[in-house]
Amino acid sequence: MRALGDLRPVYAIGVGWHPYRYATEEPYVTLGLTAVRQALADAGVEWPAVDAAFIGTALLGMASGRPMLRHLGATGLQLVHIENASASGSAAFRAACLEVASGMAETAVALGIDKVIPRPRTGSGLGGLAEDAFVAFTHFALLTNQYAARNGVSPEDVALVAVKNHGNGAKNPNAQRQKARTLDEVLGGKRISGTLTSLQCCPVGEGASAVILASEDAIRRLGVDTGRAIRVTASAVGSETVGAGNDADASLTRDVIARALAQAQIKGADLDVLEVHDAFTIEELLYAEAAGLCGEGQAIHLLKDGAFDIGGQCAVSPSGGLIAMGHPIGPTGVGQVAEVVTQLRGEAGARQHKGAKVGLAHMVGLGSVCYAHVLKRD
Amino acid sequence: MVGVPRLKPELYEEGEEGAIWLSGGACECGHVFFPWQTFGCEVCGRHGADLHPRRLSGSGSIVASATVHLHAGKGRQAPFDVCVVKLDDGPVIRTLLASVGDPPQPGRAVRAVLVEVDGREPGERVRDMRFEVAA
Repeated sequence: MRALGDLRPVYAIGVGWHPYRYATEEPYVTLGLTAVRQALADAGVEWPAVDAAFIGTALLGMASGRPMLRHLGATGLQLVHIENASASGSAAFRAACLEVASGMAETAVALGIDKVIPRPRTGSGLGGLAEDAFVAFTHFALLTNQYAARNGVSPEDVALVAVKNHGNGAKNPNAQRQKARTLDEVLGGKRISGTLTSLQCCPVGEGASAVILASEDAIRRLGVDTGRAIRVTASAVGSETVGAGNDADASLTRDVIARALAQAQIKGADLDVLEVHDAFTIEELLYAEAAGLCGEGQAIHLLKDGAFDIGGQCAVSPSGGLIAMGHPIGPTGVGQVAEVVTQLRGEAGARQHKGAKVGLAHMVGLGSVCYAHVLKRD
Repeated sequence: MVGVPRLKPELYEEGEEGAIWLSGGACECGHVFFPWQTFGCEVCGRHGADLHPRRLSGSGSIVASATVHLHAGKGRQAPFDVCVVKLDDGPVIRTLLASVGDPPQPGRAVRAVLVEVDGREPGERVRDMRFEVAA
């Protein structure tokens, strides 16, 4: 099986967002156009230069792309919609990378977009004992209990993840939650499930994010600033295997990130920036360990020591993560990559992790599916 | 309580002396699973007649538990307690605990029981499976 590094180099040349926020009546079209126009301006290229668009959306439904993108000019470009639950944006980003790296296109945009539109899943035909009782936050409340029992970690310890990420979100103008929180505020919030409180759970709102990708030929032809182009050095993906048990998300993450790091020829300890699927506080601890930043059960010690802070050993979720940046579903995975690009360029302002050279974006999606992308500053 | 119908008779049955059995299956390859199905084996892909119904013991141990304080779905009133249980016969399943508050912690032995609860229709009473701490 070939890896991204076996193909021609692909670079992220432009990033953009429509800020994540709570649901409004504004049509999705303006959200998506805002993100793409910002990414085009950031890259310094015009829309007709984009060969293909990959739209990650879990909730908008069939054929949402053309009614939106035609307002940039209906150029006749390839248009593909991708749904992969929480990882829809990550899947769109990977597809865009492969399209350019394979030579099928010179440029592509990955656009993540969603509105708050509840959509029930189609049943598999198999019954369950009480599956309706296990919404996402209860699944992760159970993982919190399992992790805490295994590693002797208290609920107060786990809540520190939220304190860090709300602090990061307060420095991010695109974040849905932009208010720093104390440990007392986090622990004193509404009790949701198990030891999880509301400020330890991600908000699901609306928004959009976009990343424009280009080949070296396109970068030269379009006159893109090579100093701001960030190479995508690895793309790894997988789905849950049999017997993974209750913590399948962590074991799957361990496998997928290990393959991404191997492709990029680095170790977890080499990462300067890590954006993980921290929809719930416990996930950051699980995935930081799965990424190889530390051994099992050690993440809480590093967190307390400030190792995961901006300016620490590795900035984990410098955007604020899903907990503060928000998790509008489709945009999330693309937005993570955009944050890593911004960090590696040194353009993250108040939340800049100094000297960042290599970063990884990680998402899981219901199923479970998992994606990891490594980006590196040349 | 005998005579009160089971909520999901396709998933569990009552054996002798009140023991609860779960309606699982086993593949020719040895993989044991729950619930029973003939779609195909998660390990080897065999399907249809290569899968055989197997009664699974309702005994197991807690992998994880939690009290749900706020529930996002309809038709279920919080608080209630949930658990992940590793059955002695192999599969890991998740369902409800019989009690509410102070749920049994990981490693604790539990067993399946049938408890009387409201059914789907107004005024209807049914028996549904829950786990409780094993005596």
